[in-house]
Amino acid sequence: MDIVVALAFNGLVWGLIIALIALGLSIIFGLLDIINLAHGDFFMVGTVLTWFVLEATGNYWIAFLIVPLMGFLMGALVERAVIQPIRGTAALSIVATFGLSIIIQEVVRAGFGAAPKRILPPIEGTIPLFGIEYDIYRIFAAAVSIVAIFGFFAFLHRTKLGTWMRAVRFDRDIALAMGVPARTVYMVTFALGFAMAALGGAVAAPITTVDFQTGVDVLPFCFMAVIIGGLGNLPGTVAAAVLLAVTEGIVTSFTDPTVARIVSLCLMSAVLIARPHGIFAGATR
Amino acid sequence: MLEVHDLHASYGKVEVLRGVSLEVGDGEIVGLLGRNGVGKTTTLKAIMGLVRASAGRATFDGVDLTGLAAHKVPAQGIGYVPQGRGIFPNLTVEENLFLGLRQDPSPPQRALVFDRFPQLKDRMDQKGGTLSGGEQQQLAIARCLVMQPKLIILDEPTEGIMPILIKEIRSEIRKINKAGVSILLVEQNLVTAFKICSSIYLMEKGAIVHRSSAADLKTQPDVVHRYLGMAA
Ligand SMILES: Nc1ncnc2c1ncn2[C@@H]1O[C@H](COP(=O)(O)OP(=O)(O)O)[C@@H](O)[C@H]1O
Ligand SMILES: [Mg+2]
Repeated sequence: MDIVVALAFNGLVWGLIIALIALGLSIIFGLLDIINLAHGDFFMVGTVLTWFVLEATGNYWIAFLIVPLMGFLMGALVERAVIQPIRGTAALSIVATFGLSIIIQEVVRAGFGAAPKRILPPIEGTIPLFGIEYDIYRIFAAAVSIVAIFGFFAFLHRTKLGTWMRAVRFDRDIALAMGVPARTVYMVTFALGFAMAALGGAVAAPITTVDFQTGVDVLPFCFMAVIIGGLGNLPGTVAAAVLLAVTEGIVTSFTDPTVARIVSLCLMSAVLIARPHGIFAGATR
Repeated sequence: MLEVHDLHASYGKVEVLRGVSLEVGDGEIVGLLGRNGVGKTTTLKAIMGLVRASAGRATFDGVDLTGLAAHKVPAQGIGYVPQGRGIFPNLTVEENLFLGLRQDPSPPQRALVFDRFPQLKDRMDQKGGTLSGGEQQQLAIARCLVMQPKLIILDEPTEGIMPILIKEIRSEIRKINKAGVSILLVEQNLVTAFKICSSIYLMEKGAIVHRSSAADLKTQPDVVHRYLGMAA
């Protein structure tokens, strides 16, 4: 029973981190019509940058603060260099971001190495939780993700830039005619997507391995969350990510991760058949 | 103030504008009329920079609009009320209203809107999509006024509006004009055009085919019939 609780909690923590990453994927798709196959690598870049900053400074918290900022800048750069030239040709986005994914992975392999590395959690110790002793750092990771997710929604609904994002998403031309700088909005959106993935990477680095290939595992999970939550349905994406990860965690405790992933995929297929617009279609928008 | 000269524009390979020229002078209300599909909306979009002009140009107070990024056009002093009103249903009335402002609206800016459109005041937190057609039209006009334009371009503002409200929209447009704002009005509703426009352009197949004062046009039912297919 303890193992079920522990893995369910691990799933919850992981689900919240995934939710943060998948939110970025979802806003990039929703606003720019870009299917970003490099999104998992943005997360991986976050873990690797965390490792480098930690190596350089010896302090995890510096990495925690600056890695999302670095992600934001890289996102802005990638938007200018890769995304802007292909705007308006959605089909090309798959090819372009797949290429980007390969480039990012190879650059990291060259600079960081092919061997996976580990980072020790910056907070040690456990606390009792539902009858088990649970890592404090994992609780911290969950809390950071929750704060970041709520922060993102507050940004989207309480700031001018967030309002502009929602306006451009609904009708770019009319937004332009009202004076909204749509190009800048696109760039900030993409940069924010990268920053959220990088923050996810910084938070996840101490509880996963730092490896140039982690993006490859994370990407399908994010896509499942986006699809099950309903394309463009942001709260749905968050809920689906958590639901999927907890389910996988619990199933893993009885069998193994492969079976758990099969269960997730079956769940996604069922959702696509029964509710093609996501389980939360119509509930939130 | 607005001068459109020999404007051409295409959607893909189809040339939709084939040399549109028109002028709106200071303080004028100018009408642009024509059957469905002749290119009226496209003309306005080209002026706003939303459709790229392949030849010709539009200048406003000497500034070449065709060379400007679309989002910089409103700041030149041009407000746009798109066909179908262009209210964002997913944004609140307040967000719609002040969308183009970089800062929070100042108290005078708010007062300006609420004096003229008191109905909007109680609905600021409602989603734009919950407003009636008439209210959306008011919001669309108010959203322009917030930016303090020198010219407002309206694309069929009376389309789909209840007949009893059309009169109100007319008087609203007049009032705005009296306050010193020029108007370029695309209309299907001949009565409205005749009542408020000083001069009228008729458009067919992507070009201007007739220009006269509203008073003159009233005496030429044959012209009206030929280009608009209805009696004056
Ligand atoms: N986005 C578009 N893509 C392709 N063709 C368009 C588009 N918008 C309008 N058209 C075509 O251009 C012509 C002019 O349209 P429009 O300017 O909307 O006319 P109007 O406003 O006078 O009714 C029409 O034949 C219309 O079918
Ligand atoms: Mg039209």
